[in-house]
Amino acid sequence: MGVLYLASLLFGISCMLLLDHRFRLFFWHDAKAAAMVTAVGVLFFLGWDAAGIGLGIFLRGEGTIATGLLIAPELPIEEPVFLLFLTLCTMVLYTGARRLLERLPARQAERERENA
Amino acid sequence: MTYLWLALAFIAAAAVAGVVFAGRGARQGEASKHWKAVGLAFAALAVLTAVFDSVMIGMELFHYDSSHILGLKAGLAPIEDFAYPLAGVVALPGLWMWLTRRRNAGAQSNLKGLVPQAILASRPVSWINTAYPFAAAMLLTTREIDWVLIVGTFYFLIPYNLAMYGINDVFDYESDLKNPRKGGIEGALLKPHLHRPMLWLAAITNVPFLLVLALAGGPAAWISLTVSAFAVAAYSVAGLRFKERPVLDSLTSSTHFVSPAVVGLALAGADVTPGLLILLAAFFLWGMAAHAFGAVQDIEPDRQAGIGSIATVIGARRTVRLAVVLWLVAGLAMLATPWPGPLAAIIAVPYIVNCAPYWTVTDTTAARTNVAWRRFIWLNYGSGFLVTLIFILQWGLTS
Repeated sequence: MGVLYLASLLFGISCMLLLDHRFRLFFWHDAKAAAMVTAVGVLFFLGWDAAGIGLGIFLRGEGTIATGLLIAPELPIEEPVFLLFLTLCTMVLYTGARRLLERLPARQAERERENA
Repeated sequence: MTYLWLALAFIAAAAVAGVVFAGRGARQGEASKHWKAVGLAFAALAVLTAVFDSVMIGMELFHYDSSHILGLKAGLAPIEDFAYPLAGVVALPGLWMWLTRRRNAGAQSNLKGLVPQAILASRPVSWINTAYPFAAAMLLTTREIDWVLIVGTFYFLIPYNLAMYGINDVFDYESDLKNPRKGGIEGALLKPHLHRPMLWLAAITNVPFLLVLALAGGPAAWISLTVSAFAVAAYSVAGLRFKERPVLDSLTSSTHFVSPAVVGLALAGADVTPGLLILLAAFFLWGMAAHAFGAVQDIEPDRQAGIGSIATVIGARRTVRLAVVLWLVAGLAMLATPWPGPLAAIIAVPYIVNCAPYWTVTDTTAARTNVAWRRFIWLNYGSGFLVTLIFILQWGLTS
């Protein structure tokens, strides 16, 4: 039994939240909407997992870096944490990309004004 | 092949949802930026997936029944695994854009400052007063630090106080407004638009801890946790308002500090002995005295706001005297506990000394007791120190 995987996931989640906090991207932009998106994302992915497990496609490994604790057959305790991380990562990347796309034209316009 | 069909089904559902949400959520000219950002985010996610999925499969965190997958791989990651990030990035940003469309159109989030306000409202200087009784009661019984002790101590340190004072400040808004004492170390005025979010914050931060602690214990823990949580809410919520019912106000307030200790004892499975009951009774009397004395300084603002308390009903002088007597009885009760309990009797003395000069206070001079109240807050730290020394002595005597 190991906690390396779980600890890495929690570390990753902390990093995402730090980015979120620093650039006011997701939870720090609109906490209510972000909570809703996160809940929908995690539940959607968990449903997908459940379907895969039910069909006998997804099998849990016996890796030594995982705790081995299960919350359902073939579903380790780390899985919802991973899905939370995936959802946060997706949304931080998307909102970050939007921020970049909105800044680029503004900067170009600024440069053109300076040149003129 | 089965995995591919499963993945395609979920991606299709995600794509439909994503297109619908984006169509409804996007403002003029926003759609192209939205899909560009989705593309950028997916490119980054695909790289991350290729790398980390390979690492995770390499570490044997999970594997697939090979008869179900296509066999096409990026590193060790089967191509089907890219379906998760793809479905997520197609659907969730659309949902986000749809949910935030009104806000972007101009409405500002009104949650700004909720967390700092909640922390300030929870009186950080008094956090230890609820966490300490729990931790001490549990540690002295089990003599080991386990996860229940850590989780419970954290709960009674922060979420519990967040709920207790957060709920209190929401329902006390009117009287606080007229009280210059609030807004600093002893409490904070809570802006009306934060009232509802504050109640939600209290519920969200408390319920999971209560459930986890209840699962960790038996019926005794369930009863004590229920009493504790009920006392927290009943003290101030509209309809119950125990804080406005003389005597019941002091009883409820004292429960706020004694119940964490009872929860700790229940979770630890402590034996109920006469000595333990006397100790808890003395602690309870101490808590009642503390509440009653604290209410004296608020007589004027409470009366103006039409709020009743033990002090507004029986008057400043009798309340002060009651507090002194309660502290005295609490100290005398400790003399009846097994050694080294009687040493704790000395703790009553500074409280009596601090409070006694107001023996002849009147309702009009009641506000002056605030000086003693400020001393009282720091006196608690000194008492905590003495109690800790006695606990260490007790620990040494019984091991």
